[in-house]
Amino acid sequence: MKNKRFAIVLDTDRCIDCKACTVACKAENNVPLGPDNYRNWVVTGKLRGSYPNLGQSFIPSQCQHCGNAPCEHVCPTKATTTNPDGIVHVDDDKCIGCKYCQTACPYNARYYNEETEAIDKCTFCTQRIYAVPAQLPACVETCPTKVRVFGDLNDPNSEVSLLLAKNPSKVLKPAMGTNPHLFYLD
Amino acid sequence: MSAFNNRPNLYVWIAILLLGMGVGVAGVINVLLNGHAQVYNVTREIPWGILIATYVFLVVSSTGLCLISSLGHVFGMKQFEFIGKRAIILAILTLLCGFGAIAMELNHPIRMGIYAITSPNFSSAIWWMGTLYGIYLMFLCAEFYFLMRGMHKGAFTMGVLGFTAAVSAHSNLGAVFGLLEARAFWHGSFLPIYFIVSALVSGCALIGMIVYFNHKSSGAPMPQKYRDFMDSLGRLQILCLMTLIFFVIWKIIPGIYGHPPGKYEATMAIINGPFAFNFWFFEVLLGLVIPLCILFPKTTRTPVGVMYAGLSSTVGIFFMRYDLVIVGQLVSMREGTAELVDGLLQYSPSATELAIVIGSISTCLFLYTLAERLLPLDPDEY
Repeated sequence: MKNKRFAIVLDTDRCIDCKACTVACKAENNVPLGPDNYRNWVVTGKLRGSYPNLGQSFIPSQCQHCGNAPCEHVCPTKATTTNPDGIVHVDDDKCIGCKYCQTACPYNARYYNEETEAIDKCTFCTQRIYAVPAQLPACVETCPTKVRVFGDLNDPNSEVSLLLAKNPSKVLKPAMGTNPHLFYLD
Repeated sequence: MSAFNNRPNLYVWIAILLLGMGVGVAGVINVLLNGHAQVYNVTREIPWGILIATYVFLVVSSTGLCLISSLGHVFGMKQFEFIGKRAIILAILTLLCGFGAIAMELNHPIRMGIYAITSPNFSSAIWWMGTLYGIYLMFLCAEFYFLMRGMHKGAFTMGVLGFTAAVSAHSNLGAVFGLLEARAFWHGSFLPIYFIVSALVSGCALIGMIVYFNHKSSGAPMPQKYRDFMDSLGRLQILCLMTLIFFVIWKIIPGIYGHPPGKYEATMAIINGPFAFNFWFFEVLLGLVIPLCILFPKTTRTPVGVMYAGLSSTVGIFFMRYDLVIVGQLVSMREGTAELVDGLLQYSPSATELAIVIGSISTCLFLYTLAERLLPLDPDEY
């Protein structure tokens, strides 16, 4: 766990807005019903151009597992911490439900889970990636067009490392200085 | 104290407050039985609602009372000395009721008590705010004890410490909002400073009201000493209000100049959007302009005039807090959010949230009324 740095690389050109990733995530992680309860989502981009020359993008996203996470800085009880593998983690028992992390997150990646009685968000499906044998996060595995690629940035031969080496990419809201670990291929 | 006896208005007043407290208790029971998600209108995108605004309003009032009363027993301005006990007991009560309001917004106030001590995060403004307000409360209680005992040296020492804690805690409350880079409307060093200035306005407003109503309830005419004090308080309030107007103007201009992303949309929401009525009618007219119009002319700067100015400012300031908290969250963190209306998120308080607001303010007023009745708060009754 110490020598890993997990990340997801996304190719949004492949996204068909089926939202299977959201459904798979909800099923895998027992996300409660309700419009505010989700760990990942798909943003519908603006319609480009005019008829008949039209285009539209869909941008799936989730917790960015920031290298400089605002949610971790603001949490009054250290309920949110960053694991050595880069996964931003919430300790349910320590969460007081002040929602400061929700206001601090520039990506709106967090919600309050009434069932676990704590703030909840993407964990990169820790229970799957550390299982034996290891599995991919539910959103990665279920995607019919393979928008997301998950892997270890500390391994130079991993698929994520190779994709980022060979292709230009960007992160969301770079000006926030959060050092996100979700990378979007240009 | 005895002046409250046999006055029918007092019983009407207490009945209204008891009713308000009953409404509050109903709200608290409702949320305890059904949970936040079912009875509050806060959402994933607007997680802080009117209860946070009420907390801010009440603790700003507490800080203002402490700062203004310290003019007397800390800074030696004789005219302000006699308000000490009343101001400090009300500062304690507003702070406690503020804590009550935020406890109802927190999902786990008991966990907070445990993990804020066993697992503190020193980089969290909320941790500092809570800790400093706790220290501030202790100093206030000690100061009140010394004032009641007539131990002026102790009251002075605690007054100095209380003043320092008030400024530290309150600027930290501003920092809770100001340190959030994600929220352009709040981010920056402006809010910690602005909160101190607006606390002074709150303090003057509340002191004007408690001095006036204390004498009104006694039925006796106000002594000249107190009339002179009200005149001085009115003048001080003019200075505080003018300073606050300066701050409001300089909050607005950078918010619209050059259309800064995030900040512009939020600022326009208060100038010419869903919060425009709150801003122009409550914040500007009731909070700032009407009090100034009453306080400027010498003919209206009477005790009753200072009271009305204070009442008007206090109502306006409540809306300042509400608008500040909500408008800062109106801009979605994500493009393409479906529920936007004119590009902004929506929030209006639920009945349960309003009930708890009414309950917390009624409790504060009720406890203060009891304090007036049970404690010797007049300066010469040690």
